[in-house]
Amino acid sequence: MSRFTDPLTGADAVGDPTAPELTDGFDDAGGAGGANAQDRDGSAVNKTGTTTVGISTDDGVVVATDRRASLGGRFVSNKSVQKVEQIHPTGVLTLVGSVGGAQSFIRTLRSEADLYEVREGESISIHALATLAGNFARGGPWFAINPILAGVDEEGSHVYSIDPAGGVMADDYTVTGSGMQLAYGTIEGEYDEEMSMADARDLAVRAVDAASERDTGSGNGVYVAEVTDDGVDIEGFDDTDAALTER
Amino acid sequence: MQDQNQQAYDRGTSIFSPDGRLYQVEYAREAIKRGTASVGVRTADGVVLAADRQVRSPLVEEQSIEKLHRVDDHIAVASAGHVADARQLVDFAREQAQVNKLRYDEPIGVESLAKEVTDYIQRYTQSGGVRPFGVALAIGGVDPDGTPKLFETDPSGTPYEWKATAIGGNREALQGFLEDEYRAEMDLDSGVALALETIAQGEEEVDPEAAEVTVIDTETHRVRSLDPDEIASHLDELDVGGDVDE
Repeated sequence: MSRFTDPLTGADAVGDPTAPELTDGFDDAGGAGGANAQDRDGSAVNKTGTTTVGISTDDGVVVATDRRASLGGRFVSNKSVQKVEQIHPTGVLTLVGSVGGAQSFIRTLRSEADLYEVREGESISIHALATLAGNFARGGPWFAINPILAGVDEEGSHVYSIDPAGGVMADDYTVTGSGMQLAYGTIEGEYDEEMSMADARDLAVRAVDAASERDTGSGNGVYVAEVTDDGVDIEGFDDTDAALTER
Repeated sequence: MQDQNQQAYDRGTSIFSPDGRLYQVEYAREAIKRGTASVGVRTADGVVLAADRQVRSPLVEEQSIEKLHRVDDHIAVASAGHVADARQLVDFAREQAQVNKLRYDEPIGVESLAKEVTDYIQRYTQSGGVRPFGVALAIGGVDPDGTPKLFETDPSGTPYEWKATAIGGNREALQGFLEDEYRAEMDLDSGVALALETIAQGEEEVDPEAAEVTVIDTETHRVRSLDPDEIASHLDELDVGGDVDE
């Protein structure tokens, strides 16, 4: 890409801005990761189906996800998947789409965030992390993922959806996954910019609950992540009601 | 003259002498001393970079001699030593600044950029068949959070951070002057004056047309080059300037 090469290795000294640092980048996108990955997107690949919800408030963000993994849309292959993971001191990412792709995506973003932090001496901003996520989703070997990136930084609370083509959209609240229309129906009209973390948590859980009732790709309880200035707190519940009555 | 042993060790950049020196890197530092000086001064509200062009003939177009270079909106570089080598590093820095924006959608920090450049310089001290960069850079700018920063690179690939520094020929004397005159609470205007006064040490007078001054202030985070009239008025106040050609 650039005309600057490493005199020792002959490799590009500037690097590809859209590729992660700690892998071969997207060089194998046409091979193992890319075209073949689409072939692997068959009935043997675990998919999350999924409903993941992110809601921002003044005090932080709440993310709620269901816990079901399915095969071919007809079989529940796991009933206790944690689909929201910490990737930043004050940031989380949800796991939506192919389980393998999403897990790899999470690992990559987590190491990018860590690298940035040790180099710069401060955590990467949520906007910068969302930009990276969009770059990777657009050009990379991670097929069929549609996560939510949610977090808190100096600028405040942020919720981003990352689509499979690398689209990055910020919003007050967002939903991705097969149950999204049901979850949106629950949130629409209920969301309030000034709502508390507790109210946002209840709304997010009720949205996942509604999707779990009617979407065959979602169910088996809920994971809830609360992200504030202080950090990330993630908890799982077999029963969605337990997440509501917790407080 | 060098003895037989030393000659063997100064051939390759990637070979240490028995006493642990890299002669090619040291020779590169000598190359920098042959250039005219550039000066960087960090003040509370911005960074100043200044340089004096060495005009060998009245027929040379002065502005074709470039010692100060804009790298991005918020970062500029002053060079001393081999101009051709400086141009390579400046363009590398420009690419890195853009890569950071593409990658993170945020402007690169001055320290990050300085370290990208020094890491690149370092590779030319550990590879066969290449020579080190015969140039020193003063990298000045304002971080995205508004902090003014000034760094120096040298041919070994070591980054240094400074409050004020001089690179190039006559460096020790200019550095001594800066050490005496630098005040941490200076504003940007005083910084420009100090930078020009430093340049004026060791010269009969400074020609406003030949001098270059660039500032990056914490208000706008933007690189701005002073025009010759502005430089002349600073020089007049200091009483070290020549006349502006009208």
